[in-house]
Amino acid sequence: MADFLQTYGFLIATMLQAGLLGLSLYFPLQAGQLSLASPGFYALGGYVAAIMLTNPAFAGLRDTLGSAIFPLTWLAGAVLGGLLGVVVGVPALRLRGIYLALATIAFVEILRVVALNLTITGGAVGIFGIPQAFGFQDRWPYIFLFGPLLALTLLFAWQLERSRVGRALRAIREDELAADAMGVPPTRYKVLAFVIGAVLAGLVGAMSAPFLNTWNAKQGTFDASITILAAVLIGGSRNIWGPVVGGALLGAVPEVLRFLADWRLVINGLVLVVASLYLPQGIVGALSRLSRPRPPQRPPVQGPPVSVAEVKP
Amino acid sequence: MELSQLLQNLLNGLAIGSVYAIFALGYTLVFSILGIINFAHGAVFTLGAYFTYTLVVGEFSNNGLLRGLTLFPNGSPFSGQPLTFALATLLGAALAGLVAVLIERLAFRPMRSRSADPLLALVSSLGVALVIVNLIQLLVGAEIYSFPDNAYGDTPPALSFTLGGKVVIIRTVQVIIFAVSLVMLAVLGYVIGRTKIGKALRAVAENPGTASLLGISVDRFIVITFFLSGFVGGLAGTLVGTAFGVAGPYFGVTYGLKELAVIVLGGLGSIPGAVLGGLVIGLAEAFVPADYSAYKDAAAFALLFAILLVRPQGLLGRSAIQKV
Repeated sequence: MADFLQTYGFLIATMLQAGLLGLSLYFPLQAGQLSLASPGFYALGGYVAAIMLTNPAFAGLRDTLGSAIFPLTWLAGAVLGGLLGVVVGVPALRLRGIYLALATIAFVEILRVVALNLTITGGAVGIFGIPQAFGFQDRWPYIFLFGPLLALTLLFAWQLERSRVGRALRAIREDELAADAMGVPPTRYKVLAFVIGAVLAGLVGAMSAPFLNTWNAKQGTFDASITILAAVLIGGSRNIWGPVVGGALLGAVPEVLRFLADWRLVINGLVLVVASLYLPQGIVGALSRLSRPRPPQRPPVQGPPVSVAEVKP
Repeated sequence: MELSQLLQNLLNGLAIGSVYAIFALGYTLVFSILGIINFAHGAVFTLGAYFTYTLVVGEFSNNGLLRGLTLFPNGSPFSGQPLTFALATLLGAALAGLVAVLIERLAFRPMRSRSADPLLALVSSLGVALVIVNLIQLLVGAEIYSFPDNAYGDTPPALSFTLGGKVVIIRTVQVIIFAVSLVMLAVLGYVIGRTKIGKALRAVAENPGTASLLGISVDRFIVITFFLSGFVGGLAGTLVGTAFGVAGPYFGVTYGLKELAVIVLGGLGSIPGAVLGGLVIGLAEAFVPADYSAYKDAAAFALLFAILLVRPQGLLGRSAIQKV
C-alpha cells in the first residue's frame, strides 16, 4: 500500500485536484453560464496561501498559529475568491453565451498580467519554497485534503441540485426569460452559482500552493481555463460526475503520457480533438446513454445550432 | 504628452493596429459563417510567420530538418531582394490558408455533420492549436527566430522629422505593414461586398439552410472562408514577425487572445467592426505610458472588459436577442 501511494499518490492527488477545478466551472454551467474565470480565482487563492505561508509580514502569525495556519489560508483563499467573484460576477453576468466566456477570459488575463508585475506575487518568478501543508513529507498525503473536499463538494452539488436553488438554476439554464417570468430572479441566482464556483476555485488554489510548492502566473492562464473547460465538456457537463471524471482523466493524461516526453502535449491536443468529435455528450453522458434504453431519435438539425447563430449581429 | 510623442504613438498604433485588423478578420469571417470562434487561428498566425521564415532563410539553427528548403537559395539572383520577401510572405500566407482548410476538414466538418454543441467546436479547435504549436516546437525547436533585418532590403526610415525638438520616426516596415493591411482590407471588402463569391458567402452566413436550398454549396464556401481566414491570419503573422523581428512557437498564442478582444470590441461577426477594433486596440497599446509598459498586454483586455459592460454587442455590432 505504501509503495502504491509512493508511486501513484501524486497522480491521484493531481486527479482529485483537477476534478475539483472541473466542479468549480460546473456550478456556473448549472445556470447555463459559460464562465472561464475559474483559473483566475484558483490563482488568487494560491497566491493568498503562498503569501501567507512565505511572506515575512506573516511570520508572527505563522509562529503563533503553527500548523493551524493552513486551514486559515484555505479560509482566506475561499473568502477572497468569493469576494472577487462578487465583484466580477455582478457586472459580468449581465453578458451571455460567448460574450461572458470572453469577458471571463479577459478577467483571467488581466489578473495574470497584474500578478506578473506586482512585487508581492514575486513577479515573473513567482513564489517558491512554499512549505508543505502540516509538514507533509511527501505529496501523496494531499489525497487526504483533496479527497474529502471533493466528497464534500459532490455532496453539496448533489444537495444543491435537489434544492429550490438548484431547480431555479436549471430553470435559468433552460430558458432564462421564462424563469424570470415565473418569478425566479436570474441575476441573483447566476451570481450565486458563479460565486460558489469562485469560492471553490479559491479554496482549491489555497490547498494547491503547498502541494505544488511553487506558485506563479502560469497557474492562472488562458490555457488553464481551456484545460478545465475541456475537462468538463469531455467528462460531461450535465451531471456532477462529468467534471470529476473529465478532470481526473485530463489531469492524468500529462502524467501518464510522461514516457512520450515531448510528444505528450501533441497527444493532449489530439485527445481534445478526438474526444470533442466522438464524445459529444461527454464520457458520463455516453455511459448513461448506454445504460438507458435508447429514446426515439429526432433527425439532426442542419446548420449551426440556433443558440449561437442568433448571437450573430 | 508632447505633440511629437503623440504623433509617434499615433503612427505606431496605426501600423500595428492595421495588422490586428486583418488578423481579426480571419476570426470574424469564420465566426460569421459558422458561429464559432476558431481558437486555432492564433496557431495559423504563427505558422504564417514560420512558413515565410523558412522560405526566406531556409533553415532553423538547431535542426536540420528543413534545411535547404529556401525559396531562393543564396547566390540566386533573387536572394536578399525586397521582392523576394514579399513573394515569400504571400506564399507563406497561402500555405497558412491551406492549413486552415485542413483544420476545417479534420476538426470542424465532422462536428458540423453531427450538429454538435458549439462549445465542443471550441475545445476541438483548441486541441488543434495545441497540436500545431507543439509540433512546431518539436520539429524546429522552441527558440525564437529573428527575421532578417534587411527583409525588405537596406531601407532607411521612410520618414523622419523633428517636431518641437523631438524626432518622429516612421520605419519603412511600418509603412509597408500599413499599406499591405490596407490593400488586404480593400481586396477582402471588394470580394465580400461586390463579387458573386462574396454574395454567396454572406448568404451562407445569414442562413446555411436557405443558402443550400438556393443551390449554394455550403461546404465549398466554408472551405473558401477558412482559406481566406488562414491567408489573412498567416499574413498577419509574417507582418507582426517583421515588425518586431521575432517569431517563436508561442508567438501566436498571445496575439490570438488579444484578437479576441479585438473582435468583441468591434462587434462579433462584423467585418468593419474587426477593422475598427484592431485600430482601437493598436492605438490603445501604443498609448500605454512607458512606465506602465509591463501592463501593455492587459490594455486590450481591460478595454474589452469595459466595453462589454457598457455595450455588450461591441462598437459596431447589432444588438441581438439571444436565448441562452
